[in-house]
Amino acid sequence: VKSTKFWVILLSALLVLSLGLAFLVLRGKGGTVAAVYQDGKLLRTIELSQVDEPYTFQVDGPAGANTVEVERGRIRVKHADCPDQVCVHQGWISTGVTPIVCLPNRLVIQLEGGGDAGIDGVSK
Amino acid sequence: MRKALGAVLACALLLGGCAAPAPEAHSSTLLAMDTVMEFTAYGERGGESVEAAKDTVRELEALLSVTGEGSEIYRANHGEAVKLSPMTADLLGEAMEACASTGGALDVTVYPVVRAWGFTTGNYQVPDQQTLSALLEQVDYTQVQVENAVLDLPEGVELDLGAAAKGYAGDRLMDLFRGYGVTSAMVTLGGNVQVLGAKPDGSAWRVAVQDPAGDGYAGVVRVTDKAVVTSGGYQRYFEKDGVRYSHIIDPATGYPAASGLTSVTIVCGSGVWADCLSTALFVMGKEKAAGYWRAQNGWLEGGFDFILLGEDGTVTITQGLEDSFSLYGDWSDHTLEVVRP
Repeated sequence: VKSTKFWVILLSALLVLSLGLAFLVLRGKGGTVAAVYQDGKLLRTIELSQVDEPYTFQVDGPAGANTVEVERGRIRVKHADCPDQVCVHQGWISTGVTPIVCLPNRLVIQLEGGGDAGIDGVSK
Repeated sequence: MRKALGAVLACALLLGGCAAPAPEAHSSTLLAMDTVMEFTAYGERGGESVEAAKDTVRELEALLSVTGEGSEIYRANHGEAVKLSPMTADLLGEAMEACASTGGALDVTVYPVVRAWGFTTGNYQVPDQQTLSALLEQVDYTQVQVENAVLDLPEGVELDLGAAAKGYAGDRLMDLFRGYGVTSAMVTLGGNVQVLGAKPDGSAWRVAVQDPAGDGYAGVVRVTDKAVVTSGGYQRYFEKDGVRYSHIIDPATGYPAASGLTSVTIVCGSGVWADCLSTALFVMGKEKAAGYWRAQNGWLEGGFDFILLGEDGTVTITQGLEDSFSLYGDWSDHTLEVVRP
């Protein structure tokens, strides 16, 4: 009986420890990830800290094309065919505070993660 | 044995679960007061409270809009003696106090000058000196008198509470959230950020200060129960013949304030004061702003702190922010000065 109790305590201690460790490891991953959605569908994800050379890609939608530009740590809509240009004027984003939204093309670029760079609001 | 293991597993799950249940966030967005507003409140009645917040903002906008026919301010500006509603009277009282305490660096009657520059309509122009001199004669907040809650402006004097209205709205929203039993909330009213309590996990809110020259942030300040309001020439301006004219007008000269600052951020428990002082201290410039801060001597409950960004790239903060403010990203190597009492 005594040895059973020993194993139960050891195993439970290990279990709690590994759970805690997994929690820390999963949370602590630093990089900011840009998720590009259209009509709610995930088109691609970009690990922004891993971008070495700036590049652009195009997303086609009902109102034309959006040209998205990516650099290390940030992303923007460089060009849009839509009339209002709200997404272009928003410029670069590098945090998850405000996503880029292009309503005419139903495009959303949302940044996730970013570890302790987490910002809740911007005073401007 | 099996029973014991089950109990251990249940314990582990419970312990793991302890960190997880955060109160639900309720968010809402509203286009009002010429800007985008976002409200987030946490907890059981958060949803109700953000809906009520929209109504409060709409109500304030209807009372205060300088262009909205039928608003109390519009009517007062068009020759009517107006019986003020309690909220307008309250806000005007606070704004007038701010005008007086800043020696007119903030002046709620500067509106005709702002209009002459085209900042109210977007038809920008540089008014000639004669026009400005004539208009400046009517810029004097002491001419605004309220008796028995009736506002009767002298001929030619026009009132604009734009420098205070969003800040005041923030205060009213914090009250509203409290009334719903909400203990954690954040509102962004244009560039004004105001928070109630701390974040649901108990940590302070991290509010960034916009880099006036780019897309990033100059710094981050950690706050609870505070308004963080920024005024800067970069927010609205036009260029003519290679000169940049920004929308913050110095009531003393009638020209855009040229005080050597690119932005002023005020951190204060009162939203309306944060709003008023961000404009006033931008007009004052660094030396006068520091003097004003030192002289406050507790007239403002809880006091206030500031973050000044200079044209030369230096960042100046007051002592109260020493432990809660840090430069951000590219700005980390900028000079940081601390103003002490």
